[in-house]
Amino acid sequence: MRAVPVAPLVPDQPVMLPFAPEAVQCGFPSPAQDYFSGDLDLAEHLIRDRVSTYIWRAAGDSMINAGIHDGDLLLVDRGITPVAGHIVIAVIDAEYAVKRLDLVQGRPVLRSENPAYPDLTLHELSELTIWGVVTWVLHKTDVSRPTYASHRDDPTRSSDLHRTR
Amino acid sequence: MLHTVTIRPEVPTSIALVDCVSFYASAERVFDPSLRDRPIVVLSNNDGCVVAADPLAKQMDPEIMGKPWFKVESWCRARGVSARSSNYELYGSLSARVATILSRFSAWQEVYSIDESFLQLRGTPEDLEVLGHEIRSTVMRLTGVPVRVAIGPTKTLAKVAALGIKKSPAMNGVLDLGRYPAEQLDRILASIPVQDLWGVAGRTTKRLAPMDIHTAKDLRDADAKWIRKCFSVVMERTILELRGIKCIELELQPPTAKDQLIFSRSFAKKLTDPDDMAQVLSIYAQRVSARLRSQGSVAGHLSAWASTGWADEGTVAHSAHVAVPLPNPSDDPITLTKAARALLPELFPVPGIRYARAGVVLTDLRAADGTQVLPLFQPEFEGRGVGQVLDAINRKLGGQAVGVGLGGLKTPQSWEMKRAMLSKRCTTNWDELPVAVA
Repeated sequence: MRAVPVAPLVPDQPVMLPFAPEAVQCGFPSPAQDYFSGDLDLAEHLIRDRVSTYIWRAAGDSMINAGIHDGDLLLVDRGITPVAGHIVIAVIDAEYAVKRLDLVQGRPVLRSENPAYPDLTLHELSELTIWGVVTWVLHKTDVSRPTYASHRDDPTRSSDLHRTR
Repeated sequence: MLHTVTIRPEVPTSIALVDCVSFYASAERVFDPSLRDRPIVVLSNNDGCVVAADPLAKQMDPEIMGKPWFKVESWCRARGVSARSSNYELYGSLSARVATILSRFSAWQEVYSIDESFLQLRGTPEDLEVLGHEIRSTVMRLTGVPVRVAIGPTKTLAKVAALGIKKSPAMNGVLDLGRYPAEQLDRILASIPVQDLWGVAGRTTKRLAPMDIHTAKDLRDADAKWIRKCFSVVMERTILELRGIKCIELELQPPTAKDQLIFSRSFAKKLTDPDDMAQVLSIYAQRVSARLRSQGSVAGHLSAWASTGWADEGTVAHSAHVAVPLPNPSDDPITLTKAARALLPELFPVPGIRYARAGVVLTDLRAADGTQVLPLFQPEFEGRGVGQVLDAINRKLGGQAVGVGLGGLKTPQSWEMKRAMLSKRCTTNWDELPVAVA
């Protein structure tokens, strides 16, 4: 008989910047001392429920207009019931794909967010399996070679971390 | 005006056993859509033998569990049975998620194994049936792992309910024994061979048969005090539990056995000689292995490290660390000593290093009786109780009177575990995330 340790999805210890207002005690105590209750924890902001959230990687550019670039990280929450308009992980031909879920006359359609790719309409009798709902896209900026000017007018570059609709 | 006081009869508490259906196989399916509706087997460490099979594979060969992989490999390929190496990182992650979800349904939970939890629930049979289905659909929705919910007045009867669920697919994975009238429960217990009961060892069946105890019902109706005299208090508890009297409490606290053991020390004088370091690692590994045996565990993973202290004037600072997965979880001092010696090649990259500390850490600990290693895959010295003999001598003579000598050790072999058909560690490794085609 043994207890199974509950492994956190991301390290339980939030990454903190060192900040200790009470450390230096020459003269007045820091007026901020009573107000400090820990730095912001990004995981807490991004993850609604740790046990139902999984991290995926996107491959391809069919969702570029939804801000999903090749190689981006996707946070996928299985605890959210998918509805039309959600970006979802769906099973297509025994493969996982990220698409936008839509309903046309009650039938599910998986839409790409790139004019170069077709929408996929499901046949009447085939079953659509949705693995989970994409809640966040994490896109790393080009910190090594900034090309700010060329991307200024590109709407997909307006935000690098955004909640999907 | 009259005050009315409603007295609600005490609703009895029930015990639910929630277990994952073919857990390892189901976990493999979560991130691999190609395995959907396909038979699958999961292999033990080093791809030795079949340790898990889904219902489809078991249907094709009811005897598949435990068979050596080299004997069934071609059969599996010919019949379209997929095989995977054990992906313990994935199973551990999904198991923890399932356990956490279950804790939301009850304040009383005992995590019994990697794929089973007991929960204490309260409600009428109708309530519990609804709750059981809710537990099932919630775990499936949040993790993709199918579970069964078997409910009874006691742990032993919950285990009986679990047998019932496995036999009848019509239950849809949920069964509460509390809904049956007494006569029907009698018929159910009469249909269960006594050796299938939780807590009844196979060898006791032979002693029960002459007493005309063959089924669960026979045992329930036996004289508990007499059975206690003939067997043990454990068997008496089983009888009382079959009668619906709770005797085996939920173990809400994790067991006291430690899940990690460390032996580390600073040296009296700094060590500069590779032979001395070899001796230190050998001694430390044997000391920590003695602790391991005293708590009745085996370890699946060893790590060893050494470092210089605060740099001396003019000497080189250095630290080294090795992580050694053990192909077969072990408490054997020779195995653990050999594993710790994997640190030696990492030491003294340049001359003149003076080590101040070293340590040996054992993790992935589990109960020693829970792991059965086929003799075929066991090093020849294991299973001969070397550790137990050393422990007994050291108890008698005190201290570290005897140990495994350095001279008798073979050169360290490669400890890399063979996992040729390993799926991705989707939830625990940044380089192995599941990929969605965009």
